[in-house]
Amino acid sequence: MEKVKIRPGRLKRKEGRIALAIISVKYVGEIVFVFVPVLFSILYSFTDYNAARETAPFFSRIGDIWIGFGNYKNLFTHFMYSEYFLRSVCNNLFMLLSVPLGIAAGLLVAAILSQPDIRFAGVFRMLIYMPVVAGAVAMNIIWRYMFDNQYGLINSLLGTQWMWLTDDWLVKTAIVIKNVWGGVGRTMILCLAAMLAVDGNYYEAAKLDGAGATRRFFAITLPIITPTVFYLLITGVIGNLQMYTDSLIFASGDPGAQTVVYFIWTFGIRRSMYGLAAAASTLLTITIMIITVVQFRISDRWVFEG
Amino acid sequence: MNAAVIVLLVLLAALAVSVAAGYAFSSRSARLRAMDVRGGIGARQKAFVRFSSAYCRIGGRVLAYGILFLTCAASLFPFLWMISSSLKTPAEVSNTMRLVFFPASPQWSNYARAWTTIDMVGGFLNTMIIEAATIPVCVIVSSLEAFAFSKMYMRHKTVHLLILLSGLMVPYASVVLPLYRAYYKLGFINTFWPLILPTMFGSVSQMFFYIQYQKGIPDAMFESGKIDGAGYLQQFVHIMLPMMGPAIAAQVVFMFIGNWNDFFAPSLYLTNENVKTLQLKLKSLSDGNRMDLPYVFAGAAITCVPLFAIYFAFQRYFVGGLAITGTGVKG
Repeated sequence: MEKVKIRPGRLKRKEGRIALAIISVKYVGEIVFVFVPVLFSILYSFTDYNAARETAPFFSRIGDIWIGFGNYKNLFTHFMYSEYFLRSVCNNLFMLLSVPLGIAAGLLVAAILSQPDIRFAGVFRMLIYMPVVAGAVAMNIIWRYMFDNQYGLINSLLGTQWMWLTDDWLVKTAIVIKNVWGGVGRTMILCLAAMLAVDGNYYEAAKLDGAGATRRFFAITLPIITPTVFYLLITGVIGNLQMYTDSLIFASGDPGAQTVVYFIWTFGIRRSMYGLAAAASTLLTITIMIITVVQFRISDRWVFEG
Repeated sequence: MNAAVIVLLVLLAALAVSVAAGYAFSSRSARLRAMDVRGGIGARQKAFVRFSSAYCRIGGRVLAYGILFLTCAASLFPFLWMISSSLKTPAEVSNTMRLVFFPASPQWSNYARAWTTIDMVGGFLNTMIIEAATIPVCVIVSSLEAFAFSKMYMRHKTVHLLILLSGLMVPYASVVLPLYRAYYKLGFINTFWPLILPTMFGSVSQMFFYIQYQKGIPDAMFESGKIDGAGYLQQFVHIMLPMMGPAIAAQVVFMFIGNWNDFFAPSLYLTNENVKTLQLKLKSLSDGNRMDLPYVFAGAAITCVPLFAIYFAFQRYFVGGLAITGTGVKG
């Protein structure tokens, strides 16, 4: 049958106008608080703008302070800034480890809790999710004390004298441990919801074919819940790239745990070097956008869509 | 303290052996069972199947509960350690020789001292002002915007939705410099406006959540409203809002906790002592010297209490609400 395209009637068009008027509120919000600031940020990144030494409005002297890709070059090569920046990038990349580890642990717990004959599943679920609710500041304070170089619980349990809070690698490892701890609950709740929605017939069929519990998990459950796992992976990576509180409170700004956002904060807000910080933040935005777009592309290809 | 390490290692080894044995047994018995279905197996193999599935059941059960208990203990331990440490004396907190879980004489006065030293009441009031100013407006505006998407005619709906959702990709750290500059020029530093203003236009993620929820409400209700002569605003207020109770409750709870725990934005805009939120007050308390540690833990425990109270009270929203956003949104 041929599809006839009918022009919407007068009432429909009026409805459309009202709907647009309603969502224009959100458009204003997005433009004022996201899109315009991003454009400004990109503009800043091509200039030598220093807010503390501002003599005239930004636009009136944009020609004088324009330095092209100078900031981007400085981020990677300048002897004063490149060390900071590259270190922040490496730290961020290393601390991404907590995402897959947290997901693996959460999946394991969810797989157990999704079994119908586990007692007290609700209680376990409730307690394991608690770290997700707790505030980042309080948790950073307590973990910092547990990892303390001198008085820390972890050092005395292990009988070691490791410099958890000051060693370049140990401090990152400690943050990874802390974030795995904080991430298990989230993975568990989301994966559990996805697992409980899986059609029970698949399991029946697999049981008849002689598949054990492990096999059933990897051959049925995991492929079906890939969208959830993928969602967790992407949001986890994006969230992790924006880490800041951990560098500030857990590591109290220790170089071994400085992140890109910490870099932006140090150079942009504290030292007012807007150009340099904006260049870093533009790179961060581009990275996150690439991850998101790639995720959309990949998820079309290999993620199960039931 | 090395005994603890040994116990831990033994436990881990037992777990590993149990997993390996369980896996080996279960896969062999599964193979045999499959053979049995097809053509039959001997008595010895049958006995193995019985033994191994019994082993798997018990071993698997022990393993499963073991993992659950370990995860639970690990999840709870930092909170317990925080409370335990908040009742210690400064000397006990920095005693490296002897770690005690139950302090000899619990120092309840630490809580009183934390409460007064950092003006917790002021911090609490500041946090509550932000909560009260942001939540109602944001919830109503977001659900109205969602209504336009879910129940109203609109051309290029998907395009509009994608443009709005694309804003979620931008990290806050990337927009913070121009925004900070603008707020500075407007004299908004050390006021609550930088935290309140952006929420006045609704939140995209909340809107997305409401769209999913509103799609589940039958269109017929709104059509009958239309026939009775209700305008769109009336349809929204009288038909949609009353039915969105659970969705709104869940989002209010999430937003309350999000605001309560928010640190990055407040730490930029609120630097004066009299506008600091609870989290910022806690942070400045933790910058003190080592002798203050017990008070810091007491302060941290105090900031967690309302959170956990809300968490336990609204238990079902956490599971239900997250489940919808988690499987509905991809990215």
